[in-house]
Amino acid sequence: MRWVLPDHIQDALPSDAHRLESLRRRLLDAFRLRGYQLVMPPLLEYLDSLTTGAGKDLELRTFKLVDQLSGRSMGVRADMTPQVTRIDAHLLNRRGVSRLCYCGSVLHTLPSTLTGTREPLQLGAELYGHAGIEADVEILRLLAEVLRLAEVPASRIDIGHVGLFHALAARAGLVPGREEELFDLLQAKDVPELRRMLADVSEPARSALLALPELYGGPEVLAEAAARLPQDAEIAGPLAELRQLADALGDLPVSFDLADLRGYHYHSGIVFAAYGAESPAALALGGRYDRVGQAFGRARPATGFSLDLRELAWHLPTPAAPAGAVLAPPDDDAGLTSEVSALRARGEIVMVALPGHEGTWNEAGCDRQLVKRGDRWAVVPLQGE
Amino acid sequence: MSSITLALSKGRIFEETLPLLAAAGIVPTDNPESSRKLIIGTNRPDVRLVIVRATDTPTYVQYGAADLGIAGKDVLVEHGGAGLYQPLDLEIAKCRLCVAVQKGFDYAAATRPGGRIRVATKYMNAAKAHFAGKGMHVDLIKLYGSMELAPLVGLADAIVDLVSTGGTLRANNLEEVEDIMPISSRLIVNQASLKLKRELLQPVLDAFAGAIQS
Repeated sequence: MRWVLPDHIQDALPSDAHRLESLRRRLLDAFRLRGYQLVMPPLLEYLDSLTTGAGKDLELRTFKLVDQLSGRSMGVRADMTPQVTRIDAHLLNRRGVSRLCYCGSVLHTLPSTLTGTREPLQLGAELYGHAGIEADVEILRLLAEVLRLAEVPASRIDIGHVGLFHALAARAGLVPGREEELFDLLQAKDVPELRRMLADVSEPARSALLALPELYGGPEVLAEAAARLPQDAEIAGPLAELRQLADALGDLPVSFDLADLRGYHYHSGIVFAAYGAESPAALALGGRYDRVGQAFGRARPATGFSLDLRELAWHLPTPAAPAGAVLAPPDDDAGLTSEVSALRARGEIVMVALPGHEGTWNEAGCDRQLVKRGDRWAVVPLQGE
Repeated sequence: MSSITLALSKGRIFEETLPLLAAAGIVPTDNPESSRKLIIGTNRPDVRLVIVRATDTPTYVQYGAADLGIAGKDVLVEHGGAGLYQPLDLEIAKCRLCVAVQKGFDYAAATRPGGRIRVATKYMNAAKAHFAGKGMHVDLIKLYGSMELAPLVGLADAIVDLVSTGGTLRANNLEEVEDIMPISSRLIVNQASLKLKRELLQPVLDAFAGAIQS
């Protein structure tokens, strides 16, 4: 049992670490080229700001400790989105749009995904200060670009809208505690239990809520929804937004699911999840959350997504064994020094041999070496091991 | 080529699922009772069945090892249902989850406020939730089978178990004192599968739904 890691915690050994890091760079570069500025919030902060506006679920998932300096409760972040929202609302104080992105480890008390890591490497992008559908389109296109860069096979983005749920739940007149139960049943598409729960709810809310779990599929479900759900502004509004998205994103593999409401605790409009073949659960989650900033003193329109880089990189092929490194002798010959610099400038890995080395240089990753031929240095296959 | 994997357990669930599969135009090529194969083909090249322990069905579907599964509500309550859609009550393999005690045991008195009893069960989550709902403290003893024995030998005051006809209870001088929930089998679906393989899965779901109604 010595040196065993805690459950659901893992190392990233060289090939995994290389895969994660190169994907991280590719994604953050893509974000930067679209104007998303990188921020690095702290690993831990006072609990009240960490879990503000994000609901009980996040609080349960947060590791807690006491600050020896102030005696206040602190938490290790379980989600960076509220931190980035705090930065936008409270520190940047921009009047117009701000585009922010981030990447860092978060910690969960309970594993949240199937592969069960408790230390996801969260990467995300958030767009603040624009309430229009154009901002949602931009974020969804950015997510599609992420899926493309990560070479996710057969990816699909599934879109819903929590506005429909709120409108219908309000019409059903449920007591507050039961709204969560309704949410859980919709989320599981548990129609039999839903039917039991809604037995006393009056029409048309009852039929409409029972219809939600069946309203999933291509853009055609939006027309079906318009026919099956009550006709009023609170429902027509969200449906119109979904139709706008369907039109604007016609070239992407998008689908709709009107009962999928992940994270409705802080989401206020469009919500979405990205899926890919060979991943049994969603790869990325996101949506609009216009009210969270209010907890930090300034309500700002907000939309964005986040994902676990470990989960996203998991299916990527192990990088083809990189061309082996070049072994340089420990020699302070000026010609050697300049040849090593030249090789490194071309992207070659050059290691300097150390005296008394045990084991083979092959094991250390070298397959070639620098040898002196006359007064010139040449790269030749590794010999003599 | 895209294909569908359906996880189910042999015995009652398999037997009672056959008519539903037939409604979807799916006929297994082997019978798990006589075959020892764990993967069973069907008349459709893109549909296969995997034979698993009943309690494992949700796990196979949750991890995407199977796209669909057929699992009792009892098993789903214990599993918690994370990552699963449960769209259809197939109304097969019906029974009830109940509390039973030895005849003559004063259950009402033992469960009055402040009482505390020992309960033997395989269904820890369901039992815990049931007694917590009554505001009662219970000591749960996890057993894997022959629950009926526990009250007879003084291991527990009561059991929480599935009851179908009540024959086993009667044969062991036990009686049912409380109903917890009706049980039947559910169709469960992996969430990503429903998004990515809807063209293949939806006709099966629709055929099952049609067969239940008729």
